[in-house]
Amino acid sequence: MKGILLKDFYIAKSGIIVTLTALFVLAFGLSFLLDASSILMLAPAIATVAVYMSITNDASSKWNKNVITMPVSRDQIIGAKYILYLLLSAIGIIVVLASLGIMSLLGMTITLYSLLFNAAIGISAALFAGGISLPCVYFFDAEKSQIVYMIAFVASTGIITALVLLINLFIPVKDNILLAFYIVLAISFVCFAVSYKIATAVYRKQDIT
Amino acid sequence: MNDALTISGLTKNYKDFVLDGISFSVPSGSIVGLIGENGAGKSTTINATLGLIQKEAGSVSVLGKEELDNEIKEQVGVVFDGSNYPEILSPRKLNRVLKNIYQSWDERTFLSLLKKLSLPIDKPIKQYSRGMKMKLAISAALSHNSKLLILDEATSGLDPVIRDDILDILLDFVQDENHSILISSHITTDLEKIADYIVFIHEGKVVFSKPKDELTEQYGIIKCGAAQFDALDKSDIIVYRKMDYEWQVLISDRTAMQKKYPKAMIVPATIDEIMLLYVKGEK
Repeated sequence: MKGILLKDFYIAKSGIIVTLTALFVLAFGLSFLLDASSILMLAPAIATVAVYMSITNDASSKWNKNVITMPVSRDQIIGAKYILYLLLSAIGIIVVLASLGIMSLLGMTITLYSLLFNAAIGISAALFAGGISLPCVYFFDAEKSQIVYMIAFVASTGIITALVLLINLFIPVKDNILLAFYIVLAISFVCFAVSYKIATAVYRKQDIT
Repeated sequence: MNDALTISGLTKNYKDFVLDGISFSVPSGSIVGLIGENGAGKSTTINATLGLIQKEAGSVSVLGKEELDNEIKEQVGVVFDGSNYPEILSPRKLNRVLKNIYQSWDERTFLSLLKKLSLPIDKPIKQYSRGMKMKLAISAALSHNSKLLILDEATSGLDPVIRDDILDILLDFVQDENHSILISSHITTDLEKIADYIVFIHEGKVVFSKPKDELTEQYGIIKCGAAQFDALDKSDIIVYRKMDYEWQVLISDRTAMQKKYPKAMIVPATIDEIMLLYVKGEK
């Protein structure tokens, strides 16, 4: 699996550098307009765009076919993409946290509450978007993976809204905002794990030509 | 002699095509050429052999094992039509990737093959010509101690010089009697140069699986007129084809036929001609 991840990093390297640099700069830019930590809501999703670059490249180069003949299992092939997705989400968060740390040192007020709140939303949105789009791009059209991801990201915001409204039926969200979004975050992790299980189960039986 | 690859009753159904009970084997130390027109089922056979597509019936034994696990995959080198490696990579980066995929990756062999084949190590694959890409793919396939090479149309679309280079590499590979090759191609002249056995697939079925020497040294074509054709013993005819001015009759033993029909014009048959007669001829 290490080799597959290394290949993905080589393919997506330029995309990763561009998106992470953009995130770093965006965090500074946004700080003049609104709460700088709100960039955490977008950071994981923006950082993971590179995964779809690698999926598109795999399809166009027919690497998907070649790699099946190598000593890696189909589960590992799918697993590598999910791991890359999580890694890039984490790196996106870290980069933004680093820029927020610098701003904090420069005297800007950044509260722990806003960090936790925005990060929870950002990670949830990315996990829902990944959970929906990763199986879809593998089973339908990998060459349009980036479009599928954008649609999935829009859908993920709808899912979060729906979940918050649902939670509000049991817990008053206004009084327990962090708790509500942590529940959403937990559900998003479960969805991502279920998505991986579904993707591997289907991919095991899929004809690759 | 053990078989490096044994395919038995391999079946796969598609809406408009059926791979129908394909059976043949690749003896260790030999080169088997898989021939047939486009869409005959060569690639489907190879894809099913490599586990790329699910077979519906039959069995495939690779290097003595029916399960294509990682241990077996380490010993099978595969080359498809095209390099099928990410074109953004250079061979140096590809080496790093494959080193982390194959436990038996032999970096020294890979680098020496690149040098031998004059492939620039830091040039992105996308800047390679088609011939260079194929040479790179073959270099990679030969760099993890492969015992079996499977090539699917690896020489198609290449010029004769590059094809000859590739055939030399393949011949060199089978100098070790533990090494074997299954190569599909519709360029039958390539297979005439290197193959020990020819398997002919037509409309999803194996038409014949024979030693190449039997085909090229014993098979022949009787070229005759209508009267001479009528006089032929029909049991001697494998297939025949009526052309504009003559009849072409495929026979399996041209020496015996020359004795039986001393006035007949019997010429050796190329694999191309044999394939054409089977596909377009009548029984």
